[in-house]
Amino acid sequence: MAEFSWSSHSPLEHALATGVHGLRGTEAGVSLTEIRNFDLIQVMARRGKWAELARAAKTRFEVAAPDGPNAVQAKDATLIWSGPDQFLVLSKDGNHAMNTLAPAFSGLASLSDQSHARALISISGAKARSMLAKLSSLDLHPAVFPVGAAAATSIDHTSATLWRGGDQPDGQAVFNLLVFATFAESLWHTMLDAGAEYGIDIRYSEELA
Amino acid sequence: MAGVQANRLANGGLIDRSVSLNFRFDGKSFSGFQGDTLASALVANGVKLVGRSFKYHRPRGILTAGSEEPNALVELRNGARREPNTKATTAELYEGLEAASQNRWPSLRHDFMSVNQLFAPIFVAGFYYKTFMWPAKFWEAIYEPAIRRAAGLGRAAGVADPDHYDKAWAHCDVLIAGSGPAGLAAALAAGRSGARVILCEEDFALGGRLLSDGGTIDGMPAAEWISRTLAELAALPDVRLMTRTTLFGVYDGGTYGAIERVNDHLPSPPEHQVRQRLWRIVAKRCVVAAGAIERPIVFAGNDTPGVMMASAMRTYVARYAATPAKRVALFTNNEDGWRTVETALGAGLQIAAVVDARPDVSAAHRSLASKGGFPVLNGSVSAVDGGKDGARKISVSLTGGARAEVEADGLAVSGGWNPAVALTSYHRGRPKWQDDIAAFVPDGAPPGMVAAGAANGAFGLGACLGQGFAAGAQAARDAGRSGKAGSAPVAEDGAFSLTPLWHVAGKGKAFVDQQHDVTASDIELAQREGFESVEHLKRYTTLGMATDQGKGSNVAGLAIMAAVSGKSIPETGTTIYRPPYVPVAIGAFAGHHRDKNFHATRLTPSHHWAAEQGAIFVDTGLWKRAQWYPRAGEKDWLESVTREVKAVRSGVGFCDVSTLGKIDVHGPDAGAFLDRVYINTFSNLAVGKARYGLMLREDGMVYDDGTTSRLAEDHYFLTTTTAKAGPVMQHLEFCRQVLFPELDVQLTSVSDQWAQFSIAGPMTRDLLRELVDPAEDLSNEGFPFMGAREVALRGGIKARLFRISFSGEMAFEISVPARHGDALVRNLTQAGAPFGVTPYGTEALGVMRIEKGHVAGPELSGTTTAADLGLGKMMSTKKDFIGRVMAGREALVAADRQVVVGIKPTDKASRLRSGAHIIPKGETPGPGNDQGYVTSICFSPTLDQWIGLGLVERGRERIGEIVHAHDPLRGEEYDVELCNPVFYDPEGGRQRG
Amino acid sequence: MRIVCPFCGERELGEFTYLGDAKPQRPAADAGEDAVYDYVYLRDNVAGVMSEHWYHGGGCRSWLKITRNTLTHEISSVEPAAGVGAAKVGV
Repeated sequence: MAEFSWSSHSPLEHALATGVHGLRGTEAGVSLTEIRNFDLIQVMARRGKWAELARAAKTRFEVAAPDGPNAVQAKDATLIWSGPDQFLVLSKDGNHAMNTLAPAFSGLASLSDQSHARALISISGAKARSMLAKLSSLDLHPAVFPVGAAAATSIDHTSATLWRGGDQPDGQAVFNLLVFATFAESLWHTMLDAGAEYGIDIRYSEELA
Repeated sequence: MAGVQANRLANGGLIDRSVSLNFRFDGKSFSGFQGDTLASALVANGVKLVGRSFKYHRPRGILTAGSEEPNALVELRNGARREPNTKATTAELYEGLEAASQNRWPSLRHDFMSVNQLFAPIFVAGFYYKTFMWPAKFWEAIYEPAIRRAAGLGRAAGVADPDHYDKAWAHCDVLIAGSGPAGLAAALAAGRSGARVILCEEDFALGGRLLSDGGTIDGMPAAEWISRTLAELAALPDVRLMTRTTLFGVYDGGTYGAIERVNDHLPSPPEHQVRQRLWRIVAKRCVVAAGAIERPIVFAGNDTPGVMMASAMRTYVARYAATPAKRVALFTNNEDGWRTVETALGAGLQIAAVVDARPDVSAAHRSLASKGGFPVLNGSVSAVDGGKDGARKISVSLTGGARAEVEADGLAVSGGWNPAVALTSYHRGRPKWQDDIAAFVPDGAPPGMVAAGAANGAFGLGACLGQGFAAGAQAARDAGRSGKAGSAPVAEDGAFSLTPLWHVAGKGKAFVDQQHDVTASDIELAQREGFESVEHLKRYTTLGMATDQGKGSNVAGLAIMAAVSGKSIPETGTTIYRPPYVPVAIGAFAGHHRDKNFHATRLTPSHHWAAEQGAIFVDTGLWKRAQWYPRAGEKDWLESVTREVKAVRSGVGFCDVSTLGKIDVHGPDAGAFLDRVYINTFSNLAVGKARYGLMLREDGMVYDDGTTSRLAEDHYFLTTTTAKAGPVMQHLEFCRQVLFPELDVQLTSVSDQWAQFSIAGPMTRDLLRELVDPAEDLSNEGFPFMGAREVALRGGIKARLFRISFSGEMAFEISVPARHGDALVRNLTQAGAPFGVTPYGTEALGVMRIEKGHVAGPELSGTTTAADLGLGKMMSTKKDFIGRVMAGREALVAADRQVVVGIKPTDKASRLRSGAHIIPKGETPGPGNDQGYVTSICFSPTLDQWIGLGLVERGRERIGEIVHAHDPLRGEEYDVELCNPVFYDPEGGRQRG
Repeated sequence: MRIVCPFCGERELGEFTYLGDAKPQRPAADAGEDAVYDYVYLRDNVAGVMSEHWYHGGGCRSWLKITRNTLTHEISSVEPAAGVGAAKVGV
C-alpha cells in the first residue's frame, strides 16, 4: 500500500509571486511578507475563570495575557487579544500547539486550533500606512496605534486581526495581519492593487517576525 | 491657430508661461499654459461660445471660474475616457487635452435644436408633466426617446472606464474645508497647536480668493503670505494639505466624504495610479472655510456669452492673465463688484460703464471713474443684446425711469455673495438670513463643525483671517491639543455695502438657473399654479437640480419666489441641503470593487486542484465552488453531472464540502446550549457521535440545519449550511451573550481551519482503507452510521472522520487541517484510482440530495416549519428551544399547510421545472386553487427521469395523486404525480450498510 | 456613524450589524403564547432615544446594548450584553 505525502500548502502559495509588484525603478514603498507554518491557538476563558487563566498564562509565557486590544510579545510566542476574555497564541515549532497548550489551560479556557484557518502577512515599508489606509478603517497613526497595539477589525467586510509588531532596525513600523485562509488569496490581490502605486516587495518566510 | 493666445495679457498671472500646452476644443487647435484651466485657456484664446443650453439650446459662454459653473460643461477626453458634463472651469489644462461642446447638432455655432427657442412659450415650468400625459404607452416609446435626444447634457462613454479608482480612510483632529485666508489661518492655528490637520482644497492651487484678489496680510502681499504659510505648514509633522480634493459630504460621527482628483489633470493616470480617490475622513473637529459664491442678478439676456460673474472676471484677468472681453461693463449692487473694475483697469482693459444699483456710490469710485473715463450709471441692467458671438449692447434702466445703452463685449455682474452653507447644512440644518449681507449664513452645524470666514458670512479679509485662526485654535483645543497657536495673521477689512437686487424686470428671457434653463417667469408661473413651497418650486421647475446643484441660482430663485408670493426671503426658506457638494463619479464610490473584485471571493482548499481538472465553478455567496467536472467528449453539463452521479451511486466519488460553516462549541454547558438552539436534543449525544440538527427562528420557522458531532464531553463541532455560516454564528453569539448569559459556553468559527470532503458510494470504505491507517476500524461495528472521531491517516497526519451521508450512499466526510487540503484531494485521487474515484461538483451533490429527499435552500425558505419539511417529530417536547412556542401557533400547525413532497411527471419523458405551480387536476389555474409549487428539480440518472421536490398542500396525505403543474412563466403545463420525497433507497439500507 | 465599542474603541459603522430594539426580554419557557408573541412581534417605533442591540461582528464579536437617538443618530451609551465578559463573573 502506498504511503501518502501530506505536504502543507499555504493559502497564498498560488497567488504569491516573490519579487517586485507594481511601481519599479525606485525602492519599493511597501514590503509584504507572508509568514508560513505557524501555530495559532484561540484561547477563550471559561465563565469566571479569567483570573486563573491569566495566572496560568503568566506562568507559561512569563508575560501577562492581553486583557485589551494589545499584542504581547513573549519569549517564544505572541499573545494577541481577539475579544473580551480571549486571545490568540501565535508560535512556531509546536512550542505552544494544541497538544501542549490544552493541558496547560485545562478547565480554564476553551481552545480552538486556528493554525490552518488564517494567513499571516507582515506589512512594512515607508508607504505601509498609505496602503493600509485603503484597506482598513483604523487610525494607524504612530501615536494612536503604537507598537503592541492590536485590533480585531474588518478588511473588505472580512474579519481580520491587525497588530503592530516591534519596529524594524531602521525604525519603520511593522504591521501584522491575520486574515481568514479562504479569503486570503482574494485579499492578497486587493492588497497588491492597493500597493501597486508605491511598488511592493513580495516575499515569504518561515520565521515569525 | 495654435500658439496665438489673442486674449492673453503680456504679463502677470499665476500661469507658467514656460510650459505651453496644446489642446483641442470642438476639433480646433489652441494653446494655453501650465496653470490654466480649460476655461481660462478658452478665454485666453478668445472663445466665448462654449455650449448650448439644456432646454432652449441657447448659446452659452463661461459664467464663473469655479465648481459652481452652470454653462461651460464639456465632454472631456475621447473614447472610453470620455467624461460628459465636465466643468471647463475646474478642468486643468494638460498637453493634448481634447474637449467637445455638448448638446448641439450639427455644430455649436449652427445648432438645429435652437429652434426650441421659437417654441419657448411651451417649454415652461412643468412642461413635461403637462404635455406628455397621454397616452401612457407613448411615454416610453416616443416621448422619452425624443426628449432625451433633444434635451440633456453630454454623452456617456458607453463603454467600461479603463481607469482605476480607489477609496481610503484618513483620520485627523481638525479637518479644514478650503484654503482661502480663513482656511489657511485655521490650518496655521490648529497645526501650531499640535493638532493632526487635514486641509482639503478643490482647486489645484492653495489660496482661494487670495489667488485672484490679492491683498495685504501681515504687511506683505498675499502671494508672499501664502508661500510663507505653506512653508510653515509643510514643516509641521501632522498637517496634510490635499489639493484637487473636494469635501462633498458630512456623515454621522464626524465622518466626511471627499473626492480627490488624483490624476484628472493628466491625459491618463500614470501606470499603477488611480484617476480619483474617494476619501472617508474621520475628524474630531471640522472648520468649514469653504468661502462664498458670488450670485447673479437676473435680467433679460443674462445668459448671453460675455456676461460673467464679476469675481470670475477678476480671476481670469488676475490669476490667468486672460481677458474675457475688451470693453467691459460692470453691473453691481455692492461694493465688492468694483474690485473687478480696478482689476480690469490694472490690466489695461477698457471700462464701458459701471451700472450700480445702490443709491450712493463712494467718492473714491467716482474719482476712479472720472480718471478712467467711464460713466457710473445709477440703475440696473434690464437687457443684454447679442448672440452666439457674445454681448454687444447693454440696456440700462436708470433710477428715475430714463434708459441708457452701453456698448460692451463683456458684462461683469455682482449681486453679492452667498456663503457656501452646504456643508454646514447637510444634517438638515437650515441656514438663517443675515440682513446686512442679504444672504443665508450657517445657523449651527453638525456636531464638531464650525464655519469661519466668508462661509460664515464674514467677507472682509481681516475677518476671514481672524475667524479662521480662532476656529482652528478652538478646534485643536476641543480635540485635546494644547500647543500654542501664536497670533493670528492680520489684514484690513474692505468696506462692504450692498443693496439687495435679485431680478430686473424686462422683456426677454431672464435666467435664474442657467444649467436647467429655469427663467424668472417659470418661478412666477410656479407660484401662480400653487407650487409655492420651496421644495415644490424646486421639483416643479427643476430649479437647482442640475449638476451645479443651484450653487449660484438657488437664492435668486427663492428671492423671486418671495417677491411674487409677498413673503420675505427667510419666510420662503431654503430647500434641504444634501450631499454630494459636487458630482462624484460612481467609479469612485465603487473604488476597487468592480469586475472580478466586485466582492471578496473565498476559495476552498481544493480550488486550485479543481481548476487544474477543468472544473466549472459557480458563485455560491462569496465562494467559488466546483459545479461539475466536464470531461472530453461530454456535450453538456447534464451529461457530466449524470456521469458523476452514476459514478458515486455505483462506485465512489468525492466532493469538497469545506464551504459548510463550522463552529466549535465548547464549555461545560455546551450541550445545554445546543438543546436551546436546536429543536432536538444534543446534551444526550454520546461522545464520538454525530446528529442532524434543525434550528428555528424565534417565530417558529426553520432557520438552518446541519450535522453536529460531539468530539469531547465539553466540545461539539457544529456545521451550518454554506449560505447561513455567518448568520448562524451571529445568531449563536446572540443566544450566548444576550439570551443565555448564565451558560458557560464558548464559540469559535473554525470554518477555515478544516478542509472537508464528502466521500460517497458503495466503494467508499475501499478507498478509505487505502488512505486511513490500517489500525483504524472502519467496519459497521467499528465505525457505525453517524459515528464521528479522529483517525490517523497513512503518512502521518490525523483527520476527523464523520460517517454521515447527504447522498444516501455509504459515505464518510473526512476533514483535515486546511493546509493539507490540497494534499488530501490529490491523495484521494491516488487512493481512489483503483476504484475509479470520481470528483463530483455541487450539481451532482444537489441531484443526489433530491433523489434522497433531503431539504436544502429552496425548501429552507424562511416560510417553512419543521413539520412542513417532514421533520416535525424532531421537535422535542421535553425542553424549551428557540422557536418552540411560535411553532405551535394555529396557522403553523394547520392541517392544510404546504408540505414537502416528491413530484414526478406522469410522462416519464417530460421535463420538470422549479417554480411551476401545483393545482388540482382538471381545474382551471387561478390563485384560488394554487396548492403549492415545485421547489427543487433535477434529472435523476438513477430513476432516468426528471424528479423534484415541492411544497404542496397536504402533500404527504396525497401520495399517488395526479395533479397539474402550471408554469405560466415558461408557458408549460403537464400532469405530475405526488410521491414519496425519498426517491432513492427509502429504507436507508445503503447509507447504513 | 461611529460606535465606541467598549472593548475595541471607536470603530466605523461597517464593522457592526444592527438587530433592533433591546427592550423586549425573551419570556420564560412557561410564559405562554401571548407573551412570546409580544416578544417576537411587538416593537415600538421610537422617534428619539431607544435601546438597541448591535453586534460587533466585524470586530470583537461582542453583542452590545446601545442607547441611540434615532432622529440624530447620537449615541449616549454603549454597554456589553449580559453574557460578554462572563469569564470575569465573580472575580
